[in-house]
Amino acid sequence: MGLLLQLLFVGLSNGAIYALIALGYTMVYGIIELINFAHGDIFMIGSLVAISTLTLLGITDASAPTGWTLVSVILLSFLSAMLACAMLGVVIERVAYRPLRNAPRLAPLISAIGVSLILQDLGKLWKGVSPVPFPMGLHQIFLTTAFTVETVQISIANILVIVVAVVLMISLQWLVTRTRTGRAMRAVAQDREAAALMGVNVNTIISTTFFIGASLAGAAGFIYALQFGGTIFTIGYQLGLIAFTAAVFGGIGNLVGAMLGGLSIGLIESLATYIPDSDRTTHFLFNIPLGIPHGGEAWTRAIIFGILILTLVFRPSGLLGQQTPEKV
Amino acid sequence: MSVERTGDPLLSITRLTKNFGGLAAVQDLNMDERPGEIVSIIGPNGAGKTTVFNLITGLYRPSSGDIHFASRSLVGLSPDGVLKRGIARTFQNIRLFNNMTVLENVLVGEHTQLKAGVLGSLFHLPSVVHEEEEARKRAIELLGFFGTALVERQEEYVINLSYADRRRIEIARALASNPRLLLLDEPTAGMNEVETLEAVKYVRRLRDELGLTILLIEHKLTVTMGISDRIVVLDYGRKIAEGLPEEVRRNEKVIEAYLGKAAKGGQLPTEAAASQEPAATDETFRP
Amino acid sequence: MATSIRPRTLLSSTVFAKWIVALLVPVLVFTFGWNGDLIVNRVLSGFLLPGSSAYDTLTLIQAAFFVTVFYLTTVALAGYLVASDSGRRGMVEVWVNILIFVLVPLGLVIYTNNLIFGLALCAIIWAVYLYGRRLLLRIFHYTPPPPLEELKVIDAEQQVILRSRAIAGSFWFAVVLAVIWLIADLFFYTTGTLSFQLLIWGIIRTILLPVAGYFLGQLAALIALRRVITPAGNGGNERKEARGRVSRRRQLEVLSTARASEEAKDLVPNDLPLRSTGAQRFYLLLLIAFVLFYPALDPLLFGSGTAGRLAGYGDAGFYVILALGLNIVVGFAGLLDLGYVAFFAIGSYAWGILGSPQIGVLAGFHVNPQIWPWFFWPMILGAALIAAFWGVVLGTPTLRLRGDYLAIVTLGFGEIVPIVFLELDKYTNGTNGLVSVYSPAFPGVDWSANTPIPYYYLILALIVLTLFANLRLRDSRLGRAWVAIREDEIAAASSGINLVNTKLFAFGAGAFFSGIAGMYHAAKLGTVSPDNFSFGDSVIYLAMVVIGGIGSIPGVIVGALVVYSINLFVLNQLDTIVADPSNGLYYVLNPIYTSISHFVPGFTFGSIRNPVFGIVLVVIMVFRPEGLIPSARRKRELHRAADEAAEVGSLDVAPGAPGFESEVRID
Repeated sequence: MGLLLQLLFVGLSNGAIYALIALGYTMVYGIIELINFAHGDIFMIGSLVAISTLTLLGITDASAPTGWTLVSVILLSFLSAMLACAMLGVVIERVAYRPLRNAPRLAPLISAIGVSLILQDLGKLWKGVSPVPFPMGLHQIFLTTAFTVETVQISIANILVIVVAVVLMISLQWLVTRTRTGRAMRAVAQDREAAALMGVNVNTIISTTFFIGASLAGAAGFIYALQFGGTIFTIGYQLGLIAFTAAVFGGIGNLVGAMLGGLSIGLIESLATYIPDSDRTTHFLFNIPLGIPHGGEAWTRAIIFGILILTLVFRPSGLLGQQTPEKV
Repeated sequence: MSVERTGDPLLSITRLTKNFGGLAAVQDLNMDERPGEIVSIIGPNGAGKTTVFNLITGLYRPSSGDIHFASRSLVGLSPDGVLKRGIARTFQNIRLFNNMTVLENVLVGEHTQLKAGVLGSLFHLPSVVHEEEEARKRAIELLGFFGTALVERQEEYVINLSYADRRRIEIARALASNPRLLLLDEPTAGMNEVETLEAVKYVRRLRDELGLTILLIEHKLTVTMGISDRIVVLDYGRKIAEGLPEEVRRNEKVIEAYLGKAAKGGQLPTEAAASQEPAATDETFRP
Repeated sequence: MATSIRPRTLLSSTVFAKWIVALLVPVLVFTFGWNGDLIVNRVLSGFLLPGSSAYDTLTLIQAAFFVTVFYLTTVALAGYLVASDSGRRGMVEVWVNILIFVLVPLGLVIYTNNLIFGLALCAIIWAVYLYGRRLLLRIFHYTPPPPLEELKVIDAEQQVILRSRAIAGSFWFAVVLAVIWLIADLFFYTTGTLSFQLLIWGIIRTILLPVAGYFLGQLAALIALRRVITPAGNGGNERKEARGRVSRRRQLEVLSTARASEEAKDLVPNDLPLRSTGAQRFYLLLLIAFVLFYPALDPLLFGSGTAGRLAGYGDAGFYVILALGLNIVVGFAGLLDLGYVAFFAIGSYAWGILGSPQIGVLAGFHVNPQIWPWFFWPMILGAALIAAFWGVVLGTPTLRLRGDYLAIVTLGFGEIVPIVFLELDKYTNGTNGLVSVYSPAFPGVDWSANTPIPYYYLILALIVLTLFANLRLRDSRLGRAWVAIREDEIAAASSGINLVNTKLFAFGAGAFFSGIAGMYHAAKLGTVSPDNFSFGDSVIYLAMVVIGGIGSIPGVIVGALVVYSINLFVLNQLDTIVADPSNGLYYVLNPIYTSISHFVPGFTFGSIRNPVFGIVLVVIMVFRPEGLIPSARRKRELHRAADEAAEVGSLDVAPGAPGFESEVRID
C-alpha cells in the first residue's frame, strides 16, 4: 500500500511538471496549429538558466541560506528562468515561425525541429554534456521531509512543486478567461481572421501566447532542477514528447485538458513502473509469467507513446476537447 | 442516343433523413428519378440541397431512410464505392486538383476505368502502356465534348483557367468514370448570361448525346425552368413541392418559401433575385 | 543534301564563338588543371608501356572509358548548344553562367582536392550569387523576355540548317580543342615531360577529334531535332498524347506564362540552351559515367584516401534510398511521416536476425557461414516486403487523421519500434546488438572490410533500382492517385480513388525501400544495435526530403547528399583539416578554430553538427521552403500559397462535421 501511495505521489508531482510544459504546447497549438517541437528544449534552457542564476548569485554546493535570503534567491532563480524562456519563446516565434505562417504545414514543423536542434546544442555548448547539478546545499534543504503520510515521505520540494504548478495554472486560467488579452487569445485561436477584423493585433497576441507558454516551461524547468537536483541538455527532448502526449491526451487546445493530461500521464508513467519484469516475476497466470520483459520501467516511453497513438486514433479530441476539430 | 424516359426509377430516395446534432438538415425526403430525366432540386439557401448530394454520394451517412440506385442500396458505401456504382458528381465550389494539368485531372477521373496495378506500372507491361495511351485519348475526347478550347489547353494547369472552363473540366472529370447518373451542384454558379446559356446547352447535350441521367441543384430559376423535366423543391430540409416546371412555379408554398409569407399571389419572378446565390467566391478573381 | 561545315552567316559566327569559348574553358580546366590529360597519359602509358604504371589494368580501362565518354560528350554538347541556341541571349550571360555554374565548382574541387568540400563551398557561393542576382535584377527592374514569344516552326529547309549548325559546332569545337591540346603536348614534349609515344598519340588525337566531331555533330543534331516543332504540327518530341485535333504549336501558344516557361525548356530553338532538357541529357550522361567509374577515377583525381572516401559514399548511398522511399510517403502522397526510422530498423533487424548466427541461436541449428551469405540476395526482397508489411500495419491507425496528428502518430511508432527491438532482447540481443551480420556473397568478390568497392557498386545498383521504381510509380495510375489525395481527399474519393488502399500503398511502398536500405546498412556495418535508430534519424530523413524538394525525385537525391554531407561529413572533415597544415583550407580554418576555442573549451567542429544542421533547416524553410530542386508543382503550390495567404491542400474539416458544407446553417 505504501508503495502504491508513493507511486501515486511521485506520479502527481511529476505530472505537475508535465502539466506546466503541456500548457505551453497546447497554447501554441491552439493558436497557430503548430506543434512546437522546440518547446521541450525551452524547458531545458529554463532549467539551465535557473541553475546558472543561482551560481551567479554566489550559491555554491556548500551554501545553505535561510530566511529571506533563501526566499529571495529561490525567487530570483525562478523568475529569471521564466523570463529568459519567455523571451526565448518570443524570439523563436518571430524568427522561425512567423515567416512561415502562410506556408504549408510542413514548413513550420521542420523549422521547429531545426530550432529544437539548435537549442539542444546551445545547452550542450553552454553547460557541457554531463549532468548539471543543482547546488547541493540548497537541494538538500528542499529534500528535507515536511511531513509523512503513512510510509510516504513528502518533502518541501514536493510541496513547492505542487504549489507552484497549481498557482501558475490558476493564474493562467484567470488570465485566459477574465482578461482582455485572454479573450483576444481565445478569439485568435478560434478564428484568426475574424479576430483581426475585430481589431485584435494578431501578431502581438501570438507573441504573447508564446511568451506565456514559454514562461511556464521556464517555471517547469526551475521546478525540475529543484526537485531532481540537476538537469542535462537532453532533458528537453526526453520530457518534451511526454508532455506533448499529455497535451494531446487531455485535449489539445484545451488548457484544463493540458493540466489534467499532465497529471494523468504522470500517474500512468509512475504506475507503469509497477508492472513486473516477466523474467523475474513471481506471479504467474496459467503458467505464463505476468509482466513484460524487463519490467514496466523499461517500457514507460513505449507505453506513453502507445497512449498517444491510441488517443489520436480513437479519440483525437482527447479527454476534454470538443469533438469537432476545426474551424472551416 | 435516345433514352427511355419511362420505366423503373434509376434513383430512388425513400424517407431520407439526416440530422446534425439538433439540426435536421434533410427530413423525410422521398423522390425518384427515372433514366434519362433531368431533375432539378431547388430551394432557398440552407434548404439541404447539397446535403442530399452528399448523402447520395456517401460523404454523409443518412440518419435514417434509404437510397437505391439501379435497385441496389447505396447506404454505407464510401464515395469511391458510390462512384463505382455509376454516380459521379461535381461540387458547388469546384474541387479540381489545382496543381495538376487539365488532362491529368480528367485522367484521375478515369481511375476506376483503368486496371493498371503496381507491378504493371513498374514494368511497363504492354497492356498497361496501351491502357495509358487509350486513357489519354479518351480524356482528350471528353474534353472535346466542350469544343476545342480545352483540348488546346490540355497541358495547362487548371489553376490558370477561367471559372467557366474549370466547371467544364470538373464535368469532364466526372464523365471520365462512365457514370449513369450525374449530379451537378450549381453548374452555372458565378457565370454570366452568355456562359449560363452555354452551360444549359451542354447540360442538355449530356443527356441527349451521352444518355446520362442528370440531377442538378440550381439557383437560377431561368435555368431550372428551361432545362428540367421535373423539379423538386426543398425548404428547411423538407420537400415542399414536386412536379413539372410550370406547376412548381405557380405553387404557393414554393413562392412563400422564396419570398416569404407577405408575397402577393401569382408567379415567381423569373429573375430569382431574392434567392440568387451571390457571385462565386474568390475563384473568379484568380489571375 | 550538302551539309556544310562552315558557319553560314555572321550572326552564326558570334553564336559559334559564344559556345566554343564557353565549353572550351571548362574542358581545358579539366584537362590541364585537373589531371584530365594526366589520366589520359597515364592510361596510355599503362597500355603502351606495361609495368610502368602504378595502376592496374582494370582501373586504367575504366579511366579510359570515362575519359573517352567525357570528351565525346562535350564535343557533342557543343554541337547541340550551337544548334539549339535561339540567339536571343547574349554572350556575356552565357559566359557568366558557365563561370559560376561550371568553373566555380570545378575550381573549388580542384583547390580543396575533395569532392564534397569543393561542392559544399560551391553551394554557398551559388546561394550568395543567386540571391545577389535576384536583388540586382529587382533593382534594375529587369524582366526576362517571356518564354515562347515566337514559336518557330522549323520546316525542312530550316532543319537542314539546324543540322549543319550542329555539325559545324561540334566539328569546330573539336578542332580548336585538338589544336590547343596538341600545342600543349608539343610544349611538354620539348620540356621533356612527355614521352615520344604520347606525342604520336597526340598527333593521332588531333586528327581523330575533329572527325569524331563531325559525326557527333550529327548525333547532336538528332537530339536537337527531336525537340523542334515541325510543320506536320505535332513536334518531334515524344509525347504519349494522341495525335489529336490540336497541334502542339497551338497547345503551346495558349499556355499561361508560368506553364509556358516550363515547356520552354523542352524546345529547340531555346533561349537558355544550357538549361534545356536536351542539354540535360548530356549532363546526365556525364554524371552517370562519372559515378560509374568513380572508384577508378578517384585515385587519379584525388590521390590517396580512396578507400575511405568510397566507404563514405557507400553510406551516402543508402541515405539516397531512404530519401527516395520517404519521398513516396511525404512527397507523392502527402502523408507526413515522422517515424520513418522504424522501417529502416525493421529492415536492418530483418537481416540482422536472419542473416547472422542469431537465426541459428533462435531456431536451434548451426548456421554455415559459407552458405548463409548467399541468402542476402533473395532477402533483399524479403526484408523489403517485411518492412512494407509493417508499413501497412503501422499506417493503418493513421488513416483517418490529418496533417499534424498523422505526423505525431508516425512519430510515436518511430519511437516505439526501436524500444521494442531494444527490450525484446531474447531475439534481438538488446543493447549489445547483433554482431557478425553477414555480408553478401558474390563469386569472386571480396566483401570484407578490406575494400569498399563492392559495397559502392551494390548501393549504386540498389539506387538505380529504387530510382527506376520511383519514376515508374510517379507516372502511373497509382502516382496520379497519390497526388490526387494529396491535393483534395474528398475530390479524389469522389473520383473513385479508394483512400484507404491508396494511402496504405504509399506507406507500404515507402517502407519497402527503407527495408532495402536497412538491410544494406546491416550487411555493410556488420552489426545492428538499437542505438543506430532514433527520432533524430527520422528527422534527418525528413530533412533530406524537405531540403531537397518534396515530391521531386532529383531534388530528394540532392537533398540526401547535402544532408549527408553536412551531417556526417563536412564538419568532421573540418576537424581533420584544422589539424593538417598541408591542406589548402588550413590557413582559413585554423584561425577561426583557435579563436572559437578560446570562448568554448573543448570545441570541435564536429560538435556543432546539430546546431548547424538546425540552422540550415530553419534557413531553408524560411527562404526556400520548396527545397533546392523543387518539382514544378511544388514551386507553384508554395508561391501561390504565399500570394493568397491561404492554405492550399486537403480538407481540414472531416465530412460529417458541421460546417463542412456552407449550406448547413446552425440556428
